[in-house]
Amino acid sequence: MEQWLEWARGPAFKFAFVLMVLGLIRHLVLTVAGIVQALYRAGDKKIPYKMVFHSTLLWLFPFKKLNNRPWYSIASVVFHVGLILTPIFLLPHIELWKRGLGISWPSIPHLLADILTLITIAAAIGLLAGRLGNRESRRISRAQDILLPVIIAIPFVTGFLAMHSVWDPTAYNAVMFIHVMGANVIFALIPFTKLGHIVLLPTTQLVSEVGWHFPAESGRDVTIALKKENVPI
Amino acid sequence: MRKYPYYVEPYEETERPRKFLEAFAAILKHSNYGFVLDTYTRTSTKCARCAGICQVFDQSGDPRDVPCYRSELLFRVYRRYFTLGGMVRSRLHNGFMLTDDYIDEMAEAVYRCTACRRCKFACPMGVDHGLMTHLARWILAEIGVVPKALVVATREQLQGKTGNTSAIPVVALKDTCEFLEEELIENYNLPAKFPMDVEGAEHVFFPAVSDYLLEPDTLMGNAAVMHLTGGSWTIGTGYYDGINYGLFYSDALLCRIVSKEAAELKRLKAKKILIGECGHASRSAKAFIPTFCGGKNAPPVINIMEYSHKALLDGRLKVKAGAISERVTYHDPCNIARSKWIINQPREILEAICKDFVDMVPSGQMNICCGGGGGTVSIDEIRAFRTGIGGRKKAEQLKATGAKYIVAPCANCKKQLREVCEDNGLHDMEVVGLHDLVLKALDLEAYGITPVDKTGKEGEE
Ligand code: HEM
Ligand code: SF4
Ligand code: SF4
Repeated sequence: MEQWLEWARGPAFKFAFVLMVLGLIRHLVLTVAGIVQALYRAGDKKIPYKMVFHSTLLWLFPFKKLNNRPWYSIASVVFHVGLILTPIFLLPHIELWKRGLGISWPSIPHLLADILTLITIAAAIGLLAGRLGNRESRRISRAQDILLPVIIAIPFVTGFLAMHSVWDPTAYNAVMFIHVMGANVIFALIPFTKLGHIVLLPTTQLVSEVGWHFPAESGRDVTIALKKENVPI
Repeated sequence: MRKYPYYVEPYEETERPRKFLEAFAAILKHSNYGFVLDTYTRTSTKCARCAGICQVFDQSGDPRDVPCYRSELLFRVYRRYFTLGGMVRSRLHNGFMLTDDYIDEMAEAVYRCTACRRCKFACPMGVDHGLMTHLARWILAEIGVVPKALVVATREQLQGKTGNTSAIPVVALKDTCEFLEEELIENYNLPAKFPMDVEGAEHVFFPAVSDYLLEPDTLMGNAAVMHLTGGSWTIGTGYYDGINYGLFYSDALLCRIVSKEAAELKRLKAKKILIGECGHASRSAKAFIPTFCGGKNAPPVINIMEYSHKALLDGRLKVKAGAISERVTYHDPCNIARSKWIINQPREILEAICKDFVDMVPSGQMNICCGGGGGTVSIDEIRAFRTGIGGRKKAEQLKATGAKYIVAPCANCKKQLREVCEDNGLHDMEVVGLHDLVLKALDLEAYGITPVDKTGKEGEE
């Protein structure tokens, strides 16, 4: 078990993390390139940047947008706060970074970490309940929409268990293995699922706006490509 | 092949999936939709926040009216046939395939959506279902699936003798305008003109051409305001139609139609395009003349309500405060309100002339669509759907205001709202244009005009 855990923490983690970083960079580069190309081709390049910026901020910090499906939205905000803060500011995690790369930053107290962990788990359950309990979102959900909150909850549950139970070393290592591999799976899934929103979300409002700016020749070019220049309407 | 709720002209029905994919590919190559689809297919989270926002789903409760469900129809095709991951996956196992049935489902779904874009404000991922409906309709139109009502009008506009959607010849246009001029004299003592083909005028006027048949009061109001404020304007007999159904089903046609407006402006050596009271006519010119006719150098586009509002503010337009005593409400046409372009201007005009103006809730940028947007109002065979489902929520909203006049500055909204009122038992409400009321509220004495003595005659016809 010990060796498995070392493998999960070492090569497997490195692979998953690098995959995530490269995948996210690819997402971002492709999206920005898409926006730039679209603007370059657009007949009208005037974009209401101020309005776009405003609506982007509105969704990055969605406090004014909680009124639509309020419980679900609150669960989502809580989920994200716990999800982002806990792993980054947990002392044992920081020590890992220190050991590995020699970098460190302030940590949060253990008690706070425990509370954040528990509410993140609760929020994940809330998200799932909100998704499956709502007729429309249940109907349109794909497998990943249902599985992701479950998968994301795994490291939180196992992390909490590992810290709070008296385990014999083998069992502890097994729980930690699940914990680390759970996180690795999440990292690896990020570029291939809707989790890509981590880098794409700040671009979506701009994408929607630029999307309405067509190339001046687009209509004609499509007509020619489909050989319909001389076809009457 | 399945029959759609709307009529479609006969077309070559073989190999539709192949043709659909060819058209999709050509559009992706030559237009800007690819990166939008990339982003949407990666981010959309299926949270159903958009469902409750859509006035169609709200009333139908039908799963296929959930906006994200409908757009997913297009996403799925895009993923499968135009992304690497999708192509690889389809090799590995027999996944999704585009079929005739699938095309039929999409064809029906995208004409239930009015492309009003209200749901965009509900989506955390910024997915614009109006844009997706817009794109899906274009692809479908390229394989021949498009409501006949829209095609017939566009055909007359681009290929017909009259060159406009209502098939009004120039002689009839002139007759109508002369008649309206006489009416203005007779009823208001106003020597306002509808100037024809005046070279070098500041504005060339493009109302929805159907106004010449259906909205005499709106046009008289337009002419009266232009006359009293000393506005320089003209109607070009070369082209005089603001309607643009290209916006509803084909960017190629959208381009050709706005180009006709720009060309008429050039022919008359005029400066600005002045659009009448019509939402989609305004948006198609304002947003797409820069796109298709010269970018930064494109001629400016204004709406007649912007003109009148400015004239009211700088004192050139004089109206009698509180001249309209009945309760009035204002319906925001999606095409001018969603972008926050025209929301307050008409309200300020109405507040200046009405004793009792009430707003609907919600209104402005988040207004609820009349239910006839995206060209669906022209499809008469789906009236029961438009007024019973699409426009149901609007009917409730209208009823709650208790207004006598519904001001709807849009040819499409007017037709739809009249039918909504009729089919939902709102028989006491009257749908009018903004300038219909402005005309009634003009302070003619302030311009030195003696109003026609109407005692003995009814004020309303
Ligand atoms: C970095 C900043 C991030 C922002 C601004 C952000 C924002 C959002 C937004 C706006 C949504 C959609 C609204 C909703 O479903 O409630 C969402 C959903 C989601 N996010 Fe994030 N997110 C971020 C990071 C993350 C991370 C790091 C993860 C996990 C690895 C994550 C996992 C999820 C999941 C699973 C959902 C779907 C929730 C559900 O509906 O089941 N997010 N996020
Ligand atoms: S654009 Fe309008 S009609 Fe279409 S789905 Fe969105 S809210 Fe509904
Ligand atoms: S609100 Fe956006 S992400 Fe959520 S279901 Fe609708 S379109 Fe999809």
